[in-house]
Amino acid sequence: MARRYDSRTTIFSPEGRLYQVEYAMEAISHAGAAVGVLSKEGVVLAAEKKIMSKLLETSKTTEKMYKLDNHVAAAVAGITADANILINNARLSAQRYTFTYDEPIPVEQLVQHLCDTKQGYTQYGGLRPFGVSFLFAGWDEHYGFQLYQSDPSGNYGGWKATAIGANNQAAQSILRQDYKEDITLDEALKLVIKVLSKTMDSTELTADKLELTSVTKTESGEVKYHVFTEKDMEPLLAFANAASQASTE
Amino acid sequence: MGLMSYNGGGIIAMTGKNCVAIASDLRLGSQSTTLAVDFQKTFKIHDTLIVGLAGLVTDMQTLSQRFKFRHNLYRLREDRDMRVSAFANMVSSMLYEKRFGPYYCEPIIAGLEPDGTPFVMGMDLIGAQGQSEDFVVAGSNTESLFGVCESFYRNDMSPEELFETVAQCLLSGVDRDCLAGWGGIVHIITPEGTVSRTLKGRMD
Repeated sequence: MARRYDSRTTIFSPEGRLYQVEYAMEAISHAGAAVGVLSKEGVVLAAEKKIMSKLLETSKTTEKMYKLDNHVAAAVAGITADANILINNARLSAQRYTFTYDEPIPVEQLVQHLCDTKQGYTQYGGLRPFGVSFLFAGWDEHYGFQLYQSDPSGNYGGWKATAIGANNQAAQSILRQDYKEDITLDEALKLVIKVLSKTMDSTELTADKLELTSVTKTESGEVKYHVFTEKDMEPLLAFANAASQASTE
Repeated sequence: MGLMSYNGGGIIAMTGKNCVAIASDLRLGSQSTTLAVDFQKTFKIHDTLIVGLAGLVTDMQTLSQRFKFRHNLYRLREDRDMRVSAFANMVSSMLYEKRFGPYYCEPIIAGLEPDGTPFVMGMDLIGAQGQSEDFVVAGSNTESLFGVCESFYRNDMSPEELFETVAQCLLSGVDRDCLAGWGGIVHIITPEGTVSRTLKGRMD
């Protein structure tokens, strides 16, 4: 019955739904999960890599995490090719702002700009929506550390902890239980790994299945986007695997 | 009036042994009136690349903001800094885009290639590249700057010798120019890092 209202993004169904947007979100629910947690000391983003092959040149390919400007990063869930277009768009938008105002773009403004673009594809042009959800992590002088989530409809919200992609409801419920207001960066790192280890299909977490990044401030006050290397992740993964072993015994 | 000599200024870049220097004066004026004496005309792009811009200050500011824009995007997309020679070509393109309504600026590009080779290049306001083995100059009185550089330049100077030479060339070169001077700033770029020193000369 819904089939009649599927093919054009620019029309509502009789029930008031936009099917193409919903189908886009369906595509994302099959993609690799991404989790974000906000702490006073910084924001942590972790993501599950879906493409795993010995033949993949891992040193320079990032599938899930992207730096948008010196003070903002994003994690992606959905169609990577669609994400690349939006990431490039976001980077340009951030630079245009800095060119005009000579200061870094406030995080929410960047999110709004991207979401406005996504919304356009649900209302005009006759083109399909982007099949991507984002988690944005950043810092600005107005609101400090922030975490935002956006989806194909162009909706966005600010979060303390959230998840997108496969099994995100399960991830969200774990976050609801375990997140506390004054969580430290270390606890946030452990939390995201714990959430991913529970929601991922594989039995054991290894560094090659994960991308882990953080947005923090250095002692000199500069915002730093840090990509965790396999070596950096080892102690965290060891802790998580030990904890999950202990809970199953 | 001459838009290129409205604000005034002088810039020199010189090569040394595994190092480069780039220096500018510190005067900003509106014809004969001096408006500022701490106005640098050099802009750092990354650890081994500094651009100096001589000419109309409004175009200098716009260009430096555009360079920052382009280099930031390059860094995000390619995950590395732009090579000096690549940056120079980009500057040349950006200037030529405005061939029939140009930016009134003459850039001086100084840096080290990834393998450590020194690189200096001067350009005219529509992007003609003039790469040099020894030195390049720009500003409201290039004749004087060429004269002092030609006299004092030697091959293979160490960073310390290069600093002395560039500093003396700049200070004596701008003395003959009423629109440039009020001190100077010299940056010495080596593979280990950049050292910047401010000069005090004739404050007139």
